[in-house]
Parts: sequence; structure tokens; C-alpha cells
Amino acid sequence: MVMEAQSQQTQQILRRNRPGTSAKEFCQWPDENFEEMDSTLVVQQYIQQLIRKDPSNVEKLLTMPDGQDEGVWKYEHLRQFCMELNGLAVKLQTQCFPATCTQMTATEQWIFLCAAHKTPKECPAIDYTRHTLDGAACLLNSNKYFPSRVSIKESSVLKLGSVCRRVYRIFSHAYFHHRRIFNEFEEQTFLCLRFTHFVTKYNLMSKDNLIVPISDAGEIPGESEA
Amino acid sequence: MMDENSLNGAQNVGVGQSRVNNAVTGDKIADDASNGNAQTVPQYTIPGILHFIEHEWQRFQAERSQWDTDRAELQSKIAVLLGERKGLQTTHSDLIRRIKMLEYALRQERIKFHRLKFGCDPPTVDLTQSPDEQGLELNADAEYPYSPVTNQMWERGRARLQNYLKEIGWTETIIDVRSKCTRNLLKLGNAEQEENISPNVNGTETNNKRASESQGRDQPAKKSQQQQAMADALLLDTEAAVMSSFAFLEPADVEMDDEDYMGDDMDLVTGSSDSDMKQLKLKTKGVIVNDDDADAEAEEVLNDLNRLAEGEDANMNMVVNNQRINEGSMKRRGVMTGLVGDEEVDSSLGLGELAELTVTNESESTYDVNNSKESYRKTWNAKYTLRSHFDCVRALAFHPKESVLITGSEDHTLKLWNLQKTVPAKKSASLDVEPLYTFRAHNGPVLCLAMSSSGEQCYSGGLDGVINCWNLPNSNIDPYDSYDPEVLKCSLEGHTDAVWRLAVNHTKGNLVSASADGTVKLWSPQSKIPLLNTYSSDTEGIPTSVDFVRDETDKIVVSYKSAVSIIHDVETGKPILKLTPNGMSGATDPTKYINRIISHPTMPIIITAHEDRWIRFYDANDGTLLHAMVAHLDAVTSLAIDVHGLYLLSGSHDCSIRLWNIANKKTCVQEITAHRKKFEESILDVAFHPSKPFIASAGADAIAKVFV
Ligand SMILES: [Zn+2]
Ligand SMILES: [Zn+2]
Repeated sequence: MVMEAQSQQTQQILRRNRPGTSAKEFCQWPDENFEEMDSTLVVQQYIQQLIRKDPSNVEKLLTMPDGQDEGVWKYEHLRQFCMELNGLAVKLQTQCFPATCTQMTATEQWIFLCAAHKTPKECPAIDYTRHTLDGAACLLNSNKYFPSRVSIKESSVLKLGSVCRRVYRIFSHAYFHHRRIFNEFEEQTFLCLRFTHFVTKYNLMSKDNLIVPISDAGEIPGESEA
Repeated sequence: MMDENSLNGAQNVGVGQSRVNNAVTGDKIADDASNGNAQTVPQYTIPGILHFIEHEWQRFQAERSQWDTDRAELQSKIAVLLGERKGLQTTHSDLIRRIKMLEYALRQERIKFHRLKFGCDPPTVDLTQSPDEQGLELNADAEYPYSPVTNQMWERGRARLQNYLKEIGWTETIIDVRSKCTRNLLKLGNAEQEENISPNVNGTETNNKRASESQGRDQPAKKSQQQQAMADALLLDTEAAVMSSFAFLEPADVEMDDEDYMGDDMDLVTGSSDSDMKQLKLKTKGVIVNDDDADAEAEEVLNDLNRLAEGEDANMNMVVNNQRINEGSMKRRGVMTGLVGDEEVDSSLGLGELAELTVTNESESTYDVNNSKESYRKTWNAKYTLRSHFDCVRALAFHPKESVLITGSEDHTLKLWNLQKTVPAKKSASLDVEPLYTFRAHNGPVLCLAMSSSGEQCYSGGLDGVINCWNLPNSNIDPYDSYDPEVLKCSLEGHTDAVWRLAVNHTKGNLVSASADGTVKLWSPQSKIPLLNTYSSDTEGIPTSVDFVRDETDKIVVSYKSAVSIIHDVETGKPILKLTPNGMSGATDPTKYINRIISHPTMPIIITAHEDRWIRFYDANDGTLLHAMVAHLDAVTSLAIDVHGLYLLSGSHDCSIRLWNIANKKTCVQEITAHRKKFEESILDVAFHPSKPFIASAGADAIAKVFV
């Protein structure tokens, strides 16, 4: 009696990664329209779907669906950036040692202090990277500032800028000190390109701080709005 | 440029966690003292005959007391059922009242609308009519025209409703409501299932029966009284909670004469908006069908409600199925008591749980009354919320001794959590924990975890095909300590595709892994050449999950994509035994896809969790299917057994985790809705702490939860 209805159920596409799924098939399900997604995590789903399709299509990636709350949109993008930065951190761990990169630097102009500690500390680059990502994970998941992923207080949205500034330094350190790693990572993910466009479009960082050159820096979409 | 404020430094305020509960109490296995039979003596002597008669008398006495016991048990059952019936009737009438209230509210809205549109009152409706009177005159109202109700109006109404719901934190509420509603459905469903498939899982079955019989004899009357009282208390609680949660909605712009009724109304709607609307629909339909008062107008209301529930069709079917099962067992129940007429049977479908709606799992109050049958049974409550991952949490592993949990996520990281270092959260009931350490080395999602027996190492498998062995940092480490590359002890390389499952053999310390590359590998992580053996099946395809057969050494059990599981000999790699779900014609059946396979810690039982919502139990010695049950409303994804082998924990994409009493007829003793969906995934892993009263669930919503 139960089985009949159930065989009908399986006809539809179930977007699941069942155990045994190969890396190739992972998340390789047909696209779903934003309007048709009905979970509370639609924005994350939608962003990830776009990235899977073409991580280099920055314009598409940053085009907000109609009627979407901008705070949530920015928040979910930043979550995705921090998550993918874990990939860069893994690579840096193999080359960026406290002995060689004693401080978090990009160009010689600034030494960045690590804000994860009670009093800002001059952490080695790899620690800075890890602490900043860990701190960002805590902040972006904090029940106090971001209790919901459906609606976000304006005051919490303001916190996103400082997270952006800090995590950007990971890109710049990799670019200026571990160029091979940076290029390898960027080729796969276009993460720095995406990030640069993102912070520019939503005016989350000042342009002076964006020191890593990106390929098509001339025409950043949405710059005029910012 | 200098940094200003500290990001969100770890503030480990207060070391909570005081509640230590006894996790499980061992089932007492009553000794079945058999009465020795009379010896057959060739010659009849007076003492011999006397002895015989005496013996026979004793036997009859024993039988008699047995009958008494049975009778007492049945009597208590009747009492319980009567109590339940009364509770259901109360709920039934309550719900009818609420439906009438809804109708009334709708009518009031229409009047308002009419007034606004035409500037006058609609001709036929008496405004001062009280809701109850209204209910009595439904038939007269049936001809009232519906033309003013436009789609836009419904759209607007829906939006407004959603706003209210959002304001009151509806998602949480709904989750709880749903959780309670489904629990009993399943329990009943399984009861029925059991009759079809031999329940004789192991020798303890009869013993348990004996034990429960004696329990029943002890206090049948008391029990039913207790239950009655509890049901009443629950109803009261429900009312109270409803009233309090809606107090601030009073100034809402629906004009209602009676605020009490208003509260009731909204509750009904809250419990059923969007994700749960379908339940309401089914239930109310059940009521209406049997209610002679039902009329066109009531149906119209329901249709409108249905429209709100559109887009949930997929889930609808599931509920329908369960409803059907429920119907079946309810009918049986009706027959058993011989008291309940058809009408009551149908109308009481699944309504009993409504009484429990507001006994939320989040609340810290020590309601041990969730299941009225075992008053001393432990009820698990959500205590810690572990948020720090950015994407689906795929795996969980508890430390064998400490209050430490490791989580593995699709965000490429593992995190270590010390449950004794908490941050007080907004709600006093649950505590936020911040991770103490983040393990980074995988190039891609982390899919599975396993903990070594000592708790010194932890293993993780990833989509990148790598198994990493980690030295666990001290559980009091500063979360912002400097990076220690030694934490990553080694990587086991050999798989060429995603590693989906790891299991540790606690006696030998070996590790077994199942990968999408088609192989299962056995490792000795401490050795110089860690890879010991590789297993695969030519016929069954890709392995989906693996475990050591726990009660024996040197056997592993592997589930394959074909829905068949095979027990392999560890030494030779040869298949020893094939476990096949019932009714399989040999062909691959994707609907029975096995998401998880585990072995019972002490008995020769293998348990599988299937995509088709079933959990199946196999005999590990001869491969027979011992028991099978529909366990959830959606695919079962994960299983865990407590260290004593008494309780089974299952997680499902239906967003709930369920706790099953393995020894006692595999009944569902608790159901907790714990996570939200991302795409069509919800709960991805569950775990029991090996030595402390903790259970945990991992969700696609990037959150892990720990229950105490
Ligand atoms: Zn460096
Ligand atoms: Zn630091």
C-alpha cells in the first residue's frame, strides 16, 4: 500500500548526494529556478548553483534575483567566499610557514595585526589566515548578529565590511608572497576576481585597498552604483 | 591600516553542562523459570501419585497466574485505550470548534471587505452572531455568495499571515508541531508492520514480553489514571502555551469579538502554515467527512487553506501514506476495544498528538511525560547548537570519554567542539558552543568521520578521495593558538574517488573505508604501510557504506548500490553472506538504496537505512531479514546505536531524528525535528556518545545539534 505512492515519488529529481556518489557527480543535478526553490537556504542554493555552472561568470553571479533582500544576498555571498577561502588556506599551509612569513604582509606598506585576539596581535601570516577565517566563521554564524539566514538586521549587515577587509588580506598575502599557489587557486575558482567584484559592487571595501590586480579590472559591473 | 575591534574572540563564559542523566537502563530479563515436567514412573506408589498430583496442581497454579497476568494486562490496555479515546474526543471537539472559528473569522473578513467595497453591510449576515451559534447555522449560510473573494485577496492574506508567522518565529514552532504530529503516526505504522514480518529478532523477545506483563500486573489501574491525568495536563499546557504565544497578536487587524477565540484560531493556522498545511488539510478533512454538519462553506474554507499549501505536493503523498497506515491501525484498535464506532475512529485520526503540540523539544522544562507509557524513560532535549560551518555538516564523531564532538562539513573543514565550553545564547534553553579547533587539509567537502578507540586520533574521509588521520588537540586549547602542522598526523592515500564511510575496529584499531571508486579498503593507520587489504564486489557495484561486524572479529559488512549488503571475510576478502531486502527480484532497485549500514554492538544483527524510508534488520549469521519498518517520512540517511545496543537512533531527510527501542518491539520512543532542508537534504548524520548522555545530529543547514 505504501509502495505505490512511493514509486511515483522517486520519479522526480531529488537533489541529493547519496553515499557512494562520485566526485564527478557530486551536486551535478539539473538547475532549479530561484523562484522554485522553497527551502530557507534558497540564496545559498542559488549562489552555489551558479558557481557550479561557471565560477568565472561574475556578472551573473552577482545579479541579485528580483525581490531578494540585499542584506541576505550579501551575507550569503560572504559565507560562500569564506568557505571557499578554506581551499586557499589549505594550500597556504603547505608553503606559508611562521619562520618565513613571520608577519601578515602583502606589500611592504602595512603589517596587519590579527583581530581574533583580545588585544590585536602580530600573528604570522598562516596564523593570521586561520584565525581570520575561524573568526569570520564564528561571526557569520553568531546567534547574536546573524540569528536568521532569512532576514538580517541592518546593524549586522554593517559588520560584513570588516570581515571583507580582513579576509581580503589572505588574497593579497598569497598574491604577493605565494604567487604560484595564488595563480593555481585562482585558475580553478576565480575567487579573488569574484570577491573583488563583489566588494566593489556593494561598496564593502574602498578601492585603494584592492591591491591585487584582476584580469578585467577596467570594467567592474555596478561600479557606478556603488 | 590597523585593525580595530577584535573579531569575535572566543569568550568562554561559564562552564555549563550540569545535567548528567542516566542514558539507558538495561532491560531486565526476567528469568523464565520453567516448571519441570512430571517424571514418568512405571509403578504407581502413593507418594508417587501424591507427588504427581502436587506437581500438576503447581503447574495449574502457574498457568492460572499466567492467565491472571494476561488478563490484568489486557484490562490495563483497555483502560489506556479508553483514556486515549477520551483524549481524542476532546481534541476532536476542540478542533471542530477551531474550524468553526476559522469560518467565522473568514466570514467577518468578507463582511469587512464587502463593507469597504460597497459601503454597506452585506444583507444576510448578522454581525452580532456568536461563533458557536454561527456554527449551528452553517447550512443556512451555505448559499452565501463567494464572488468578493478574489485571488489577490488571498495573496495578500497569505502574505500577512506569513508576516505574523515570521514574527513569532514560526519556523521553530512548525518544526515542533510537525515533529509531534508525525511521531505517533509512525509508531502506529510500525505496530502494524510488525505483524507482517516476524518480530522474532532475538531471544529476548519473549523475555521482554514477560517483563512487561509483570509490569502490567503491578499497576494497571494506576497507569491509566496517570495517563488520563497526563493527557489532561498536556491539553492545559497546550492551551496555555497557545495563549501566551499569541498574546501579542491581539491587536491584529482581523476584527474579532472574542479574543480567546482569536487565539485559538491563529494557533490552528500557525501550526499548519506552509509546510504543515497539508496535515491540517488531511486532518480537518477527516473530521468534516464524518461530521454531518459539514457544509459547502466549511469545504470552501478548506479549499482555500489547501491553496496555501500548494507546492507541498511531494510531501503530501507521504503524509497520505502514513495517514493510511494510521487508519488501518486505528481501526484495529477500534475493534480491540469494541467500543469505538466508525465515526470516532476516523475522526480521531492522528489528532491525539495535537495535545502535545507545544511540549517543544527546545524547552528546558523537564517534561518526562512525552511518552506516557514509560514514565521513567529519558527524554532528550536540544541543548547545544553548534554553528560555525558554512555548509552541510556531513559527519559526526564523539570522543570516547570527554564531552568533545568533531564535525565534518562540506565547507572543507572539520571542527572540534568542547561541550563544556559554552557561550550563553539568547534563549536560555540552548547553549551556543564555539569550535575550539578547525582542521584544514581536505581539498573539498568532508564526508565522513571516525574516532579511534583511545580518542587520541580521528579520521576523516573526503570527496577528494583522501583519508586524513588527525591527532586531536587538547580539548582546552585556545581557539586562536598558533598553527601546529603536527595535528595532521598522516594521510592515507589509495582511493581514487570520494570516501563516503569510515569505521574503526575497536579491538584491533584498524580502519575500514568505503569509496565511490568501487572499493572498500582496510587500513592499519599506525603502520608504515597502512593499506592492508582491498575488497570489491563485481556484481553489486559501488559500496555506499561499511561497518565491522561487531560481535565477531575479522568480518566487515558492506552495503552496495544494488541495495544488497555483503559480509566479507577480512582476511580473504571473500563474500561470506548476502543480505537482500525482501521482495527483491535480484535486479537493482534504486528505491531501496542503502544510505547507511551498521552492526549491532553486541548481537549478530546488521541494520540498514534505506532511501525508501525503511530500516531493515538482518541476522548476521544466516542473512535472514529479521524485521523491517517504515521509519520516517522520507529517506533514512543515518543510524547510530548506543553502546549497550538498546537504542537505535535514525536520521532522515524528513528533518527529524528518531529514537527506537531496539529490544522492546522497535517502537519509536522519541522523535525530534532538528534541521532544515538544503535542496532535498536535511539530516546527514546522527551519533551517540559512547560514555556520556549525549546524542547529536548533523544537518544540511550547516548546524550540528547536541541533545541531552
Ligand atoms: Zn606566507
Ligand atoms: Zn591571530
